[in-house]
Amino acid sequence: MDMVRTVRKKGFLTGSCSDRPMSTQRAIWNQHGIEFDFVCYKHMLPELKKNFDADIYCHVGDRDDLDRKYALRAGFEFLWPDEAVENDWFSSAL
Amino acid sequence: MTAENAPQAMYRTKEGLGVWEHRGKVAAVGVGHSPTARRWDERPETSVGAWSILALRRAIEDAGVSPDQVDGLVIVPVTTTGAFWPDDKPLPIEAINAFNQTSDPLDGIAKLSDEWLLKNMPELTNIKYSAYGPVCMSNALNVASQAVGDGLTHTCLVLKAWHNLEGRYYQGGKNAANSTDGTSAIKNIWGAPASYGTALQFAEYCRKYGKTHDMMAPFMSNSRRNGLMFPEGYWAQHRPEELTSEDYQLARWIAKPANLFDNDIPITVAAAYLFTTAERAKDMKQKPVYIMNHASSETKPRSMTPTLDEVEADTARTGRMIYEGAGITADDLSFENMYDGFTLFHQFHLEGLGYRGIKFGEALDFYQGDITIEGPNPVSPSGGNIGSGRSRFWMHTDCIQQLQGRAGPRQVTGVKPEIAVSGGPMPLGGNYTVWSATPD
Repeated sequence: MDMVRTVRKKGFLTGSCSDRPMSTQRAIWNQHGIEFDFVCYKHMLPELKKNFDADIYCHVGDRDDLDRKYALRAGFEFLWPDEAVENDWFSSAL
Repeated sequence: MTAENAPQAMYRTKEGLGVWEHRGKVAAVGVGHSPTARRWDERPETSVGAWSILALRRAIEDAGVSPDQVDGLVIVPVTTTGAFWPDDKPLPIEAINAFNQTSDPLDGIAKLSDEWLLKNMPELTNIKYSAYGPVCMSNALNVASQAVGDGLTHTCLVLKAWHNLEGRYYQGGKNAANSTDGTSAIKNIWGAPASYGTALQFAEYCRKYGKTHDMMAPFMSNSRRNGLMFPEGYWAQHRPEELTSEDYQLARWIAKPANLFDNDIPITVAAAYLFTTAERAKDMKQKPVYIMNHASSETKPRSMTPTLDEVEADTARTGRMIYEGAGITADDLSFENMYDGFTLFHQFHLEGLGYRGIKFGEALDFYQGDITIEGPNPVSPSGGNIGSGRSRFWMHTDCIQQLQGRAGPRQVTGVKPEIAVSGGPMPLGGNYTVWSATPD
């Protein structure tokens, strides 16, 4: 959650894409007091991409079959959690 | 003691048998549940064997009997339909060694025998009758009902347990084999999702009657709502998440028109009930819930998966058997708790019963009305597998608790809980029980 807070301060658009019910995704963000730009299901990534004009589209996930596959198929870049932690986007120093 | 599958003669599978000879003379009294978990964490104390023992002891305590009064044990020896211990995975030695073992090292870990249970429950000193009810609690309940009625046991524990392991469900065992025989070669090896047959039937149902998948949404939300009021269930314990119409209708397809939420979530859990004679039940701790009938469908489809026509013919026949043996009509049902895992066949069960007078093709319209526990037409007050995870027994626990008046916040209030029906799993090939608050 701290990683999301960090990138939001930098102007990133953030949200969640999961198999969890979208109402639950919204509840999780609200519970942590984090604003979100979208919630969706995994198969909705292509539609999501059309709705936002951005330089880079990236999905962070931990499943090859249910995260990476859907992300790459929708034209998103993909980061595993350990890769995301090392990514400069999430560094509060920059 | 090594149990065998109950003989076919114990099941009531035909129309024309008349009222069940033991109607109202057998009762359920005690209920015991283990906790739930999404997957086994490989600790001995959370193994399927350990949780089975816990559920059995809780059922005994709940009924207020001493273990040495128990003289019967009916269990389901299979504890999964889709999570198999991989051949190349080392055995969980610590968990195995924590219990008295049988000749099968996975006994109590990924399967369950009566021998294993009796070796690890020394307090059960008087077991005289032991039998297996294959596959589901629904089957084991039929066996226990008949066994108590026939005098083979007077105080009988009934158990069903489920384990779930790491990894994807239904992607091990036969599904991972390079070859297999029979129709499994097509059904399993080629990877059709387990819900595909039901999805095909539902697609035909929608075409035939002009209905849509979206019309399932009220049933789904209602089931999850009821499940969140089931403290023994997975969603209530671990992920208290509602399921809105939007949540359901936008979910990804698994086998169109069956989506993600039309498939139940596999979990680890165990449940046990204590059955006894109506006479003995009077002196036990909980209010007896009387068994009015049990009925079974043994119908085999003509091909790989039943057609809608076959489903409708068989659910109607099952409904007639249920009512005939119990000596009741559809009008006598206070509520129904038929199986729902997969969700898209619940309406087949409902229409076969003629619940609240609905006919074939009308259940989805019925779902658009008040089907809550507060209303006059409760549908699946247990919440079923959708409400509490894949166990195939929430519906039975709920019937007992509702008729005992101890379903807590899930208690039906729009009707007086007097007679209920539960059972499954599939529309073809299920086992059913009729429950009553009174013996006559």
